[in-house]
Amino acid sequence: MPLPLRSGLPLLLAAALLGGCATSEGVRNPSGVPVTEMRPDERGFVAGTGIEAQDMVAVTDRMARSILGIPQISRAATPPSVVLEPVVNNTRFPVNKDIFLTRLRTQLNSKAAGQVSFLDRDLMRTLQRERELKRSGQVTASADPNVVEFGGADYFLTGKLDGMSTRTAAGTSDYVLYSFRLTDARTSRIVWEDSAEIKKQGLEDAAYR
Amino acid sequence: MRPTVRPRAARGVAGLSLPLFALLTAAAGLPGCATAPDEPRAAVRGEAGVPERDRVLHACRAAATALRTGDYPGAKARLDDALARLGGLILDDAAAARARSLFAAEDTKVFLGEPYERVMAYYYRGILYWRDGEPDNARACFRSGQFNDAGAQDERFSSDYVLLEYLEGLATAKLQGDGTDALARARALAGERFRLPDYSPGANVLIFAEYGYGPRKVAAGRYGEQLRFQVQDSPSRSARLVLHEGRTVVPLPAYDDLGFQATTRGGRVMDHILGRKAVFKAATDAAADVALAGSVIAADQAHRREQRGKDGGGSEAAAVGLGVLGVLGKVVSSATRPEADIRQWDNLPQRLSFAAVRLPPGEHAGRLEFLDREGRVLAARTRPVFLRVAPGDRDTVLFFSELPR
Repeated sequence: MPLPLRSGLPLLLAAALLGGCATSEGVRNPSGVPVTEMRPDERGFVAGTGIEAQDMVAVTDRMARSILGIPQISRAATPPSVVLEPVVNNTRFPVNKDIFLTRLRTQLNSKAAGQVSFLDRDLMRTLQRERELKRSGQVTASADPNVVEFGGADYFLTGKLDGMSTRTAAGTSDYVLYSFRLTDARTSRIVWEDSAEIKKQGLEDAAYR
Repeated sequence: MRPTVRPRAARGVAGLSLPLFALLTAAAGLPGCATAPDEPRAAVRGEAGVPERDRVLHACRAAATALRTGDYPGAKARLDDALARLGGLILDDAAAARARSLFAAEDTKVFLGEPYERVMAYYYRGILYWRDGEPDNARACFRSGQFNDAGAQDERFSSDYVLLEYLEGLATAKLQGDGTDALARARALAGERFRLPDYSPGANVLIFAEYGYGPRKVAAGRYGEQLRFQVQDSPSRSARLVLHEGRTVVPLPAYDDLGFQATTRGGRVMDHILGRKAVFKAATDAAADVALAGSVIAADQAHRREQRGKDGGGSEAAAVGLGVLGVLGKVVSSATRPEADIRQWDNLPQRLSFAAVRLPPGEHAGRLEFLDREGRVLAARTRPVFLRVAPGDRDTVLFFSELPR
């Protein structure tokens, strides 16, 4: 091998080795991923086997359609009054339970167009205090405050989330049953009940197993 | 005729030939390449920006501190932040793939902790849910905690937290359900070690206590490729709450030991990956040693031939070639990163305890005592406590920790 080439080869090699270091090539998304706006019923790139936004949207949409189809609501002479009772979570996933009923209520209110009315029991304390202020004459009243006008419930709407989970070397599997029911406040009869079920499974990266 | 003596190759520092000098320079320069582009940093409340991959770790540590200092909203916010990550499945993740690769250490992945650490995040969040009057969400957390402990190598140590099972049943009983199955499972897990009390429907005060320092992660093996746990057994073996000048004594035995939990999980899939990395590192290092030794011998041979006036070109080329291979081998070996991830949630307790009692609403003063193995009070650890039991149906949830922060 000629001398210049013999002495130059390692130099070139060294330069190539060092040169390869001055780059961030191979690093995926070094500057991050732009914020992506998604539909709430769309599966995002951050996912688990738990209860997610798209599940909540799908379930409440289905329940709202189902409730509006029953004769007690669709053929009622006067819009029945419904009180929402907290959902019971019997899964392994801590969830914001109110969000189910809030979305169900907003769906029903927007789709039912007055077919059903909801009683705001969350505000009862505030409403009672206001009524007392009116009765004592501390604030003005547009109607006789001594007449009881707080509405009584015709129906109670509530739900329950039940789950079953499995974890093995093959992965994680979660089944969640979402059930909702409408109970007649006078007779205690369940006049409507429906459910939806979602099962998910996956296996995490080996780096976390 | 005098043999033609070729001019010797240009000499570098300390008599090294220029090619070898260049290679050594490159090898010396390579470690400087270990810098990566700026890591994404996360804003964690109360802390300067932390690497995004350590976000869960910092959130968990801060949550434990917040819980012990009575900053319950702060603890909730941090645990929710951590659980948003812990609850998902990490798939097709660049950092995780890098952590599995030869040339990146395991701690380049997003920290999700070992099972006992994940369990504790759920356990603490469960306590806070219960404190907020949501026993069903608390139960969900205890279930998730137990779920995170599933899949141990030895099935006997899978989902074996006594307290999580007991609390799941208690929450179910509080929700008018049947908690007897969970109680039976908890008792089976406890075995002969202690007798778990029946659920008391009238109990309105839930006391969670913890004592001792939790396990420590250490890296063992030639290259630190083995994840191991050190457990320094705390002298506090149990505790008790003494109220009303000694008229009420609430035992707080240790139902679970995180040291036991950490050391009974068995191997991880990642341990096999790290083991393979270590084998590769050792093999390339050994091959490089052989190549460099061969290079020295060939260089010496070339030198002798030149001194004898013979052409040493062939030997010199061999020396350079073996030198290149040797240096590359050393570079590859030193760039291989089999070290186990020893980032750890370092303010966890060792022992977890619980009691449910009935106390009249109002204020109660007393002391929390820690007991040694023989049941003697560790007087220096005794601390006064003051608690307020709320009226109404909602349970009063109290949390006591021997750890300061």
